[in-house]
Amino acid sequence: MYEKILVATMGEYMDDLIEHTVDLLHGRDAEVICVYVVETSVPFLTPKKVKEMMAEELTERGKEILVDMEKAFTGPDYSNIKFKGLMLEGSPADEIVKTAEKENVDVIVMGTGKSIVDKHLLGSVSEKIVHHAPCTIHLVRTA
Amino acid sequence: MIELILLIGALIVSLIIVIKSADVFVDNLVEIGAALGISQIILGVTASAIGTSLPEFGSAMIASLSGSTDIGVGVVIGSNIWNIAGILGITATFAGVIKTESRDLKRDGLVTLGTGLILIFFMFFGDIGRIASVFMILLYLVYLWRLIKDQKKFDAEEKVKKEKLVEFDSEKEFESETKTSRMASIDKKKLALVCVGLGGLIVGCRILVYSGVELARIAGIPEMIMGLFTLAIGTSIPELVVTFSSAMKGLHELSLGTVLGSNTFNILIGIGIPALFMSIPVEPLSMSFDAPFMIFVTVLLIVLIKTGGNKLNRTGGLILMATYITYAVLRLYVLA
Amino acid sequence: MLVIKLNLITLHNRLKLMSEKMFKKILLPVMGEYIDELAEHTLEMAQGKQIEVIGIYVIDTSVPFLTPSNVKKLMKEELSQRGDEILANLTSKFNTPSTYMINLKKVIVEGDPAEKIVEIAEKENVDIIVMGTGKSIIDKHLLGSVSEKVVHSTPCSIMLVKTVN
Repeated sequence: MYEKILVATMGEYMDDLIEHTVDLLHGRDAEVICVYVVETSVPFLTPKKVKEMMAEELTERGKEILVDMEKAFTGPDYSNIKFKGLMLEGSPADEIVKTAEKENVDVIVMGTGKSIVDKHLLGSVSEKIVHHAPCTIHLVRTA
Repeated sequence: MIELILLIGALIVSLIIVIKSADVFVDNLVEIGAALGISQIILGVTASAIGTSLPEFGSAMIASLSGSTDIGVGVVIGSNIWNIAGILGITATFAGVIKTESRDLKRDGLVTLGTGLILIFFMFFGDIGRIASVFMILLYLVYLWRLIKDQKKFDAEEKVKKEKLVEFDSEKEFESETKTSRMASIDKKKLALVCVGLGGLIVGCRILVYSGVELARIAGIPEMIMGLFTLAIGTSIPELVVTFSSAMKGLHELSLGTVLGSNTFNILIGIGIPALFMSIPVEPLSMSFDAPFMIFVTVLLIVLIKTGGNKLNRTGGLILMATYITYAVLRLYVLA
Repeated sequence: MLVIKLNLITLHNRLKLMSEKMFKKILLPVMGEYIDELAEHTLEMAQGKQIEVIGIYVIDTSVPFLTPSNVKKLMKEELSQRGDEILANLTSKFNTPSTYMINLKKVIVEGDPAEKIVEIAEKENVDIIVMGTGKSIIDKHLLGSVSEKVVHSTPCSIMLVKTVN
């Protein structure tokens, strides 16, 4: 049923996301695309140097996360899974929706996001993606 | 200035009184009717047919009786144009779609169109008098009888359908069958509420018409305009809330049915009954513009629904809203 | 970063130990549309294992101010009848030999759909809610969406099945 899964991760709750992804597949062949988005937007008047530094730092973190994900999905138990890591730059929600559409994935797996208070204050990437709903979305309870 | 504010305040308050009173009146009348053993079907159909239209009828009636026949005719024709172009326009635009069954559209749509044509026909002969009045009232009774018959048939079909469902659904009990007419004694409270509702309706309509007439005088606009727009839109608030919320809940039949049923009632009863007591004069402009425009929006609605595959979609809603704005501009600025 | 590393140490063990059956209790809100898709995805979740599915229909009782009360009553009757039909339809979908492992429980409640769905998910302690992604973007802006409200205050995981193109 799901041949192409997009797992969106920010580095948190990775075990839960992996667990749910594996469960959705239950041993069938599938392609898992793991996406990490380097958020490049910064507040107005942020010094250019700081912006560059932040992007670098986040890229570094993204690399580690994707490496970890690859390890998790390429063990001998998961010969059914074809893994692909993807690092992007931009607004997380937009990039995830765009990738889901471009890659024509069957389902996006991600966390439900922040607590309600945070959602009100910060907005949630998950909610933005749900709003655009490019495909079926599996939201793993994380908060 | 203070007078103006007071009048507008009176208009708004009386409008709420009228709408709430109509609700209390119909609701308790139905309960009493049920206690008297009148069939649920007859009560249900009649109540929903006249319930939302009582404010229009009440204000048209009071206006005509107090000598402002222009307001009376204005409320009826204005409401009918607003119901279709305004209310259905807004509802379809926001709710996205209003669906209908071909059979219902045929019945309610054509009846609405027909009553509009009948009104124009009588207008040709000048004032609307007693003969026209009796004819229109009788026609409404026939329509009501037809509605009740259809509902009975529908209920019977539903029953068969339900029985089929039971096969799947053995655990489910059907409490609806046990709902046989409970012959409760006529509650004194309900009787009192009917009187309160009726009283509120009369007093509310009286204040509503008075403030409408006075506002027209102060602002220097014709009473007809007051009836066609302010009172017509105000008294159609129940249609608006019912049509909109039922479309949102996916109860499409109720949505379109409310508007078309109200339009039929407005003409046949809203003009028919006042004409029983006095002859209603016909203003040239309503004969040559308002009434034909009312027919036009009815036809437009039927065409939009037919071309949209038995539903009114968002585009149709926008077209209807634009039509209403065009009408208002023409009537208020060009033809004034 | 440290957190992630620590997580990964236990990760492989956890994945092996992971219960064969993650979703034991599924909440399936139905509004009458896309029942086939929702049923299909629910079956997919079950993966042939014994699970409990709670099919729920919420009668939306909210009406605008000044709605005549007899109309309100009529709407409620009409909607509760529709709810019965929808749930019966759902029952027939889960009543086939290939769906024997699904234990369907039907619930009809009255109130605000999103609130009730969240409330029942909490009360019944379900593992996951399966529902449609909801309306088109224009509709979401104009009307809001039950799915989005549920996502906003969800107590558990959610499967949003793509229902609109």
